[in-house]
Amino acid sequence: MTGPGAVTGPGAVRARAGAVATVFRRELATVLRTPGYGVLAVGLFAILGGTLAVGGGGSTGFVPAVVDLLLVTEVVVPLVAFVVGYRALLTDAGSGELAVIRTYPVGVGGYVAGVVLARALAFLAIVVVPYALIGGIVWATAAPDTGIFATHSGVDSPLLYLRFLGLIGPFGAAYLSVATAVSAVASSRRGAVAIAVLALVAGVLGGDLAILRSLASGTSPSAIPGLLASTPNGAFRGLVFETVVGVTFAPAGGFVDVGRAVGSLLAWIAGGVAVSTATLAYGDRLDVLLEGVRARFVE
Amino acid sequence: MSDDPLAELSDVARTYGGVAVLEEVSLAVRPGVTAVIGPNGSGKSTLLGVLAGAVEPTDGRARYAGPDVDRPIGYLPQRVPFREEFSARETLAFYARLAGGDPDEALERVGLSDAAHRRVGALSGGMRRLLGIAQATVGDPPLVVLDEPTSGLDPGMRRRAFRTAADASGADTAVVVSSHDLDLADEHADRVVVLDRGHVAAAGPRERLCTEHGVDDVAGLYRAVVAGAGVGRVSGDADRDEPSAVHVTGVSDR
Repeated sequence: MTGPGAVTGPGAVRARAGAVATVFRRELATVLRTPGYGVLAVGLFAILGGTLAVGGGGSTGFVPAVVDLLLVTEVVVPLVAFVVGYRALLTDAGSGELAVIRTYPVGVGGYVAGVVLARALAFLAIVVVPYALIGGIVWATAAPDTGIFATHSGVDSPLLYLRFLGLIGPFGAAYLSVATAVSAVASSRRGAVAIAVLALVAGVLGGDLAILRSLASGTSPSAIPGLLASTPNGAFRGLVFETVVGVTFAPAGGFVDVGRAVGSLLAWIAGGVAVSTATLAYGDRLDVLLEGVRARFVE
Repeated sequence: MSDDPLAELSDVARTYGGVAVLEEVSLAVRPGVTAVIGPNGSGKSTLLGVLAGAVEPTDGRARYAGPDVDRPIGYLPQRVPFREEFSARETLAFYARLAGGDPDEALERVGLSDAAHRRVGALSGGMRRLLGIAQATVGDPPLVVLDEPTSGLDPGMRRRAFRTAADASGADTAVVVSSHDLDLADEHADRVVVLDRGHVAAAGPRERLCTEHGVDDVAGLYRAVVAGAGVGRVSGDADRDEPSAVHVTGVSDR
């Protein structure tokens, strides 16, 4: 429904920020009342601990531990992101509460921002705590002296593990953003699960398979660092090799185009949020457009 | 009471999957209580959704024409949608933070102060509806749209919910209520809109419509406009014996 124009100015900016904060608090309260997320964090810790115990890298230092955890991380972090995000926007849209919320002075962008920020904080808590505990275990049990900070190549250090943790944030945020977009597009919980599983498999395996296929069809191997950066998994893996694992041995580098990898992760994050916002803002109009097309087709 | 319209619909139409649910609906909503009545599937929920901005019309235009305020329209859908893990007060506090207002005052207005700390999931159907009405009036919107706030409630709770909804109207506030409770509509409505198969079959001040159709009340108006227009569409004698409860088999409301 059309109505009076939007109010602008510093007061309006404050009001918009307040609305985002209100949505954020509500979403965070919802997450805190979902015991399943605590179980998820415990399960993640068990998987990471088991991987470390089987790999044995953790007993020799942080970088070997990162090497052990890398492959598992590429699977479980996207999985956790999808579990946290696949219903983020579907809950209110499915129950009809979104239609009520939209009668209040909060824009679609503000609503999506509040929900995504709260879910991102929850995701970080679920992921960072187990990884930090694993880091603590490595610190306490690793045989070589890991208590020094790396200032040059060839030295293991907790700082490298912190870099690894720092890279998990944007990697997971990219998947969380995609999961949020899935929750905006899906019209039911079952549909959201189906799309989420497809997106997860495509994200975790699809990128690498696509690169292999392009190499088989004649793409130059020198293009790999650039291609690798285009998917969240490739960008994350490349950045881990470039800034964590690669630091400890030869000054080779060139695993991935760093700038492109960072840009790729940011683009996935921004893309997911943009799809979510556009879906909620223009989904109804698209529906009306389709109805119009259908009417003309029938005529 | 001002007679200027707070919202206007011009030639509004809405289809779902090619099926017309609303066709060429033009209305002006003025201060006071407007009851929207009609058989199931007549397009009441869609009409109210268009008024509230929750449903995009496929044709025509819906326009809010009231004062420029933070929250121009309050809305309660047919299914009360609140998150079940929050208490009644937490639910209203969320909305009050968005639009300004006091959640405790809103709870008191609908008589739910004693249930303030009860989870939404633990509230009875009637209490949920009252909570929904309280939500729809948070921030004092000039136009309040309530989709069947009395549906599924016992007679006492129905009366209470309708009265609470009607109390939200005022000299500069319009409350639009869809309902099958024709007696309550007769008791509280200043204006009536009768929908039939997606069209406005009659609309205007209640007393004028009753006079024009030579009937005593809204139930008579309904029979004259809708049931009279299509004998056999109302589901049997029971409904004729008790005109305050109207049910039609077939298409459900969208």
